[in-house]
Amino acid sequence: MGKRNRNVGIIGIGQTEISSHKEHQNQAEMINEAVRYALTDAEITLDQVDCVVHGNMELFEMVHQPDMWHSLGSGAYRKSQYRLTTGGTTGATLVCVADNLAASGMHDIVMAIGLEKLQEGNATGGITNTADPLWFRHLQTGALTSTSATDAIQEFGEERAKRAAMKYRIMMDKHACLNPRAHRRLGLEYDQMENLMKTSPKLVGDLQLIHMCSQSDAACVMIFASEEKAKQLSNKPVWIRDHITVHREENYNLFGLKPRESTHHYAARKLFGRNGITNPVEYFDVFEIYDPSAWWGLEWLREFLLLKHDEHLKLLENWEFDMDGKLPVNPSGGVTAGNPIGATAMLRVAEAALQVRGDAGGHQVKKGIKHALASGFGGTFWTVLTMLEKDIDWQEVNDD
Amino acid sequence: MTEYYGTGVEDIFNTMEERFLPQGAQGVDCSIGYNITGEGGGKWTLSVKNGKMGVEKIKGKFEGCAVILNAEAEAFVGLTLGKIDAADAFSSGKVKIDGDMAIIGNVLPKIFKPFTPIVKAKGIIESMPERFLSQKADGVDIKVGYEILGKDGGKWTVVVENNTCKVKSELDDDCTVVMRMDAQVFVDLNTGKIDGAEAFGSGKVTIDGDMGAAGTVAKLFTKFESQGEIKERGEEFIVKKCIPSINQRYATGPIMGKWFKGLKKKIFYGTKCPKCGRVQVLPREICAECRVRSEDFVEVGPNATVSYIDIVYYASPDPLTGKVRETPYAGLFMVLDGSSPEESFSHELNPKDIDRIKPGMKIRPVWAKERTGSYTDLMYFEIDD
Repeated sequence: MGKRNRNVGIIGIGQTEISSHKEHQNQAEMINEAVRYALTDAEITLDQVDCVVHGNMELFEMVHQPDMWHSLGSGAYRKSQYRLTTGGTTGATLVCVADNLAASGMHDIVMAIGLEKLQEGNATGGITNTADPLWFRHLQTGALTSTSATDAIQEFGEERAKRAAMKYRIMMDKHACLNPRAHRRLGLEYDQMENLMKTSPKLVGDLQLIHMCSQSDAACVMIFASEEKAKQLSNKPVWIRDHITVHREENYNLFGLKPRESTHHYAARKLFGRNGITNPVEYFDVFEIYDPSAWWGLEWLREFLLLKHDEHLKLLENWEFDMDGKLPVNPSGGVTAGNPIGATAMLRVAEAALQVRGDAGGHQVKKGIKHALASGFGGTFWTVLTMLEKDIDWQEVNDD
Repeated sequence: MTEYYGTGVEDIFNTMEERFLPQGAQGVDCSIGYNITGEGGGKWTLSVKNGKMGVEKIKGKFEGCAVILNAEAEAFVGLTLGKIDAADAFSSGKVKIDGDMAIIGNVLPKIFKPFTPIVKAKGIIESMPERFLSQKADGVDIKVGYEILGKDGGKWTVVVENNTCKVKSELDDDCTVVMRMDAQVFVDLNTGKIDGAEAFGSGKVTIDGDMGAAGTVAKLFTKFESQGEIKERGEEFIVKKCIPSINQRYATGPIMGKWFKGLKKKIFYGTKCPKCGRVQVLPREICAECRVRSEDFVEVGPNATVSYIDIVYYASPDPLTGKVRETPYAGLFMVLDGSSPEESFSHELNPKDIDRIKPGMKIRPVWAKERTGSYTDLMYFEIDD
């Protein structure tokens, strides 16, 4: 750290309901719904917004200048506007960029918009077309793999691993049922665990349909302001402490005979290191993780929280990731409960910020939240990790 | 309940409250008697006053009604659904009106939304032959059983053979696949209220038999639409469908160019980093770890060791060709002999080996007879024994 020109606070959050269909509104209208919520939440008008940052996975909906079409709904007309597309991380990158634009002094108030209407596109086609066109495009169909299930079963035995993945999935569904905006609220019960393991159709290897995220439609909007403006305009700004983006080569050379450090682990190690955080499970009060499937969610908790061996499984088995556990994970229900891709990673940050504010409603974690963590995931395993704070009271550690 | 055109008399009265339009009923103050005869019939009174309504099934005489509608059950349902002509119904004597005719003709249409048939599993399944796309069923020979549980449930077998579709009201023993679910889940699935992933994923639907057949059958029918819904939604005005098709060509550059040239000669080339010695496959222009160019080619493979296996049971259509692969198929991650152990290469497995393949096994490539320097030169890998 130490590179930050000024602090930035989140002063407005708006999100539409996440659902499988939104045939009653077009993309611009869907965005507009979330923009209105965010402006109302921030108690500002569109005139006060200096800059708009827009993001979705345009390959999915096949509209190649979406920011142009959407400007009617976004309110970007005659404003400075940037368009971003970074795969699954798009929403998290929008937050980083909006934060950087405000922190740098370029703009005082920045509105970021993440959206996806997957019902109008072809996510599998889009994902396949993001792969290296010379080779991997021809091999890849979509984003399904069972490698993390294979690893967990090998490391912890079939019964423990499968029960853990299903427990995680049911816990996420329990959380989603508390969130009226979540797409999938299945009403799963823990006593269905054995039955679900038997009946849920297999997708790939031990990855079953119940483990996997949905395809969803939604928009999420967040408004960011410089410290001065944030304090002036908002009673409860949520502060962005730091974020890190870690990319890797665009190649699926991830699953060889010898493991390499994951981008998730690398990102967490670097981010926590430069902020002087040695025990993330103790430090953070809530974690909104980008969990495309239950197997991945579970594996990545270990990576992001720098846990060793079966520590993540023990935390899960001891209910520590539940709403009143030591580190509640995805009170919103997470990605398995709804995945409007360009909005998904932003929803993680937005939901974490709502937790810090105490405004999450039915899925608010009861204990006060001071420190929150949110992750984004995309492409060939690249990652974004964002830290939020209730108060500006952190120690700067210049150890990058 | 006795049904006519798939609808019971009671359905029409039971839905009055939800179809009621308070705005249209402003200033209306009247009672209407319904005397429906025949199977499934009965007597009902409808009272409308001050923008509110009440409907009641009664016994005995009608009291204080401004108009009484007498009708045979079948004619009443047919008239409500628009299945029979009103003039015919009145002239044939199947429907008679005692009292103020204007209430039936002018007032009722303003205070109720039109009745739309309640969608039931039976109606959906029985409409399958009408919705059948015979041209898509070349070579398809399957029997799909439906065991629909709960109220309005039943058992059916849908037989697809020789480009025809027939529905039987029983469950055959030799079904290719049997789907079992509650009637409401079946209706919600077919009317788009819940999506397939939700229904299949949450255990609301169980599938016995060939999963693939369940997927195939879905493609052979147009979407179920109940008549009323089409009118109300006006779907053609708010949904625009298009299928884009884009041809593209990409330059390989010299590194991947060498790789494709190698395939022609059944050779795999990797690149070796001059700094860390890492051998990458596919060959890459640089070593991303060391940030130096890595243009030294080394021959790797052709055999490899399996590191991970992805057995795919659910095939998404290949967006490049629109084709759906046969399932299950296996995708492999492997380390080609001579490349660094953390560098995996991926390809498919010869389907014949799917039951035997295990991590750690040695595999060999199977090449296409005609090789043109493209990804089709390599067909798949198979167990090397």
